[in-house]
Amino acid sequence: MNPFALPGPLLPQACLAAGVVGSLGLGLLGRPRPLLARALVVLAPFAALLALRGLALDLIGPLVALDLKSVGWQMVVYAAALPLAFCASGDDVEAALFLGAVLGMSLLAIAGNLPMLFVGLEFMSLPAYLLVARAGTGERSRRLEAAVKYFFAGALAGALFLLGLALFYAETRGLGASSAPLGVMGQAGVALMAAAALFKIGAVPLHWWLPDVYEAAAPEVAGFLSTSMKAAAVLFLVRVIQSAPNPAFASALPWLGAVTSLVGALYALRQRSLRRLLAYSSLSHAGLLILGVGAWAALGRDATALSAVLFYLAAYALMGNGVFAFVAATGLQTRDQLKGYASRRPGPAAAFLILLFALGGVPPTGGFVAKLLVFWQAVRAGLAGPVVLAALASLVSLGYYLGLARDMFFEEPEGAEPAEPSGAPRLVLLVCALSALALGAAPLLLNGLTGGLWK
Amino acid sequence: MSQLTALWVLPLAGAAACALAGFSGRAAARACALAFSAAFLALALYALRPLLADGNALSVVGGEPGAFGVSYRLAADGLSLSLVALTAFLNLICVFASWRQEPSAGYWASFLALASALCGVFLARDLFVFYVFWEATLIPMFFIIGLWGSDNRRHAAVKFFLFTFAGSILMLLALLAIVVAHQRASGVWTWDLETLKGTDLGAAAPWAFLGLLLGFGVKIPMVPLHTWLPDAHTEAPAAGSVMLAGVMLKMGLYGLIRVALPLLPSVAAAWQPILGTLAGINAVYGALCAMAQTDLKRLIAYSSIAHLGFCLLGTFSGTTPGLTGAALQMINHGITTGALFLMVGFLYERAHKRGLDDFGGLAARAPRLAFFFGLSTLASIGLPGLNGFVGEFLCLSGSAQSPILFAGLPFFALLGAVGVTLAAAYALPAYQAVFWAPEGPGSVSARVDDLDARESAILWSLCALMVWIGLSPRVWLSLLEPSLRGLVR
Repeated sequence: MNPFALPGPLLPQACLAAGVVGSLGLGLLGRPRPLLARALVVLAPFAALLALRGLALDLIGPLVALDLKSVGWQMVVYAAALPLAFCASGDDVEAALFLGAVLGMSLLAIAGNLPMLFVGLEFMSLPAYLLVARAGTGERSRRLEAAVKYFFAGALAGALFLLGLALFYAETRGLGASSAPLGVMGQAGVALMAAAALFKIGAVPLHWWLPDVYEAAAPEVAGFLSTSMKAAAVLFLVRVIQSAPNPAFASALPWLGAVTSLVGALYALRQRSLRRLLAYSSLSHAGLLILGVGAWAALGRDATALSAVLFYLAAYALMGNGVFAFVAATGLQTRDQLKGYASRRPGPAAAFLILLFALGGVPPTGGFVAKLLVFWQAVRAGLAGPVVLAALASLVSLGYYLGLARDMFFEEPEGAEPAEPSGAPRLVLLVCALSALALGAAPLLLNGLTGGLWK
Repeated sequence: MSQLTALWVLPLAGAAACALAGFSGRAAARACALAFSAAFLALALYALRPLLADGNALSVVGGEPGAFGVSYRLAADGLSLSLVALTAFLNLICVFASWRQEPSAGYWASFLALASALCGVFLARDLFVFYVFWEATLIPMFFIIGLWGSDNRRHAAVKFFLFTFAGSILMLLALLAIVVAHQRASGVWTWDLETLKGTDLGAAAPWAFLGLLLGFGVKIPMVPLHTWLPDAHTEAPAAGSVMLAGVMLKMGLYGLIRVALPLLPSVAAAWQPILGTLAGINAVYGALCAMAQTDLKRLIAYSSIAHLGFCLLGTFSGTTPGLTGAALQMINHGITTGALFLMVGFLYERAHKRGLDDFGGLAARAPRLAFFFGLSTLASIGLPGLNGFVGEFLCLSGSAQSPILFAGLPFFALLGAVGVTLAAAYALPAYQAVFWAPEGPGSVSARVDDLDARESAILWSLCALMVWIGLSPRVWLSLLEPSLRGLVR
């Protein structure tokens, strides 16, 4: 009998839970075991990723729903968490926190009703607050401050969700998806729950916590928050929309997404701190994701439109993790320190350049295909205004991506020789950059692999 | 690998080879660049051969539609292959022109990568593939301007990229609108240009056309979207300006002829008065700006705007002579302006100046340079017997068939005629100031030696083409004309 078949459809969660228990158990061994902690932190999400293969999609209980979305999102969430796992410090508490956050996201991905969704949300958020406070070196007070800010934002989101859930329950007398159209109270409830999700994604004007947190956290952790955690938050939004047949707020999502994208890009344009710039850039990309979800809702929840969002998340997982890994590997803090970097360290500079073009949506990179797919679905949904606004945001964002490329390649180096980039983040940077480039061939490559995503 | 695929893969492989050869020294990278550029030109001319025998020959590489309805489709008719040949020819010229400077391997790799992407643009018949190549041209040119340009290169490189990206993102939205409209009508996702022809967009058609017009218009450039051009052309290294003016500006016109007009012919017909006026403004405004310049390179940059105005007049006329003239003028302008930019580059290499007032009396000091510069200037202003005349004449005669009159005369041809006159008014005084005027007190003419054998050989080849096309344009016209028949109204 195959021992791995025992937990069945919950095998990925079992792998992650085992990882959490295991890394907490390391503390009992008396002395630090960094090697074991590192192994656990990489193996648990990797095993969870492998366990997704061949899952049957039929386990629909009151608490757990396993559909195509939950499998697709779990793949992205685990894969996007791997870079942080590779860069882990070997501290057993950090390992447990990281795996706990991933477990929370994976619970969110399989949540079958709204309270379960809330459990997943809190389960992924609580370890993340502590991870922001604890992981990394130097400037501990700033990380603590950011973690507290993050916590309050998260607590507010949780409270909004519960209030919304209460209103939703008051009207529908149920905790699962309602099949009857909602009245005023139910609409308000769903809108409040969606506000919680938008808080987590960082939609304008609920984004105020995001740049501070991403700037103060260790860069690898910021990469994790901006990719893996954001993917989970997007699924959270999708599930809230699915909880009702006629959520009124969904028609505002495209404009909200386009405005978020533009505001994020405009803020990023004027940052001098590299991490803060990347934080706002991540905000700008989040706007396009919201636009994609809005297009999905406008198209009558067409699966094609959601697969565009998922592709975007997968591509952004590479780009977001890659650029934050660049910051982690090089230790650069400001744009000025980037000047002339390419003439001193051409390898990392070239990898960063590929990621910048990918983020800007310039072919032939995966970032272009991702942006194209989201725009495509939005055009299909007839959202002309938001699409033009989002295109404008893309143009503005290119202003700072090209600015970074200019600083790196065209300016003369000044100041001391930068340090040699360090081990694991450097590897992550390289792998992310090459994959982001390879993903650009997706429309031609996928042809042979899948026989066409849609024709 | 099919021949058409090889046309863009070969220079791309050359770019990779140059980058690798760079590890064993600059001379190796240079030799590598020369070998690949020569092979590229040979391949381009070889591909042109069946078309010279039969103008209607068309070779196609077709793939099945794959994910997202994208298929890898290339096709080559006379228009595509002449522009590919122009790209390959100017690319080789650029290699020779930069030979002495011994730049790093990245320089050669950028030029070959640029040539590869340009070839892709001219050959692609799937709009997705077309767009990918279109955008991919920006990256090498961004580095050519930003790394090897003159003083203000950083600003010019970013400006160039942002302007053209702004246009192409609008173009992408327009293409998406067309693809989506086609899917609504037929249920099939496709980006194939042939299949998309005749798609009915309804009320969205003018908007889609506007998106395409802006996307292509930035590249051409159409006034008032032209402000990136003087900076980019002036700051780029000489060889970079040759590729920019010689080939990259043609991308915009080519896009109009290949994509915008066939996909949305009804809008183009309805908008003809506006489009023709804009084209006339281009010809006149570019010439007026050129008259005001004191920097020789900037003057040539503005003259490009004027020349592309003639091409636009021909294109929008919707007549056989107009369209053929526009296509021929695209090639003419590449050769003539390429030669002029190269010579300004040679001057700048020697004197580190390029103002009109910085020189004088060069005809005596550098007679060979004076001869080539004079011939190219005359070709550029359209002297009969040289290539510019044929193209401009056809463009004007095409636009003269337009029914829109001004005081009893064809309005667009009138605008074009004003442009032709003004061309002489900016080009000849500039030539006179540099080559014939007495040397002023601040003149740096003494620093200018005459052209050496390498430089003369480059210019001989360009000037030979000018004379050949000017005296016997029939070969070229019969090559281009069949590709344009479908556009004639």
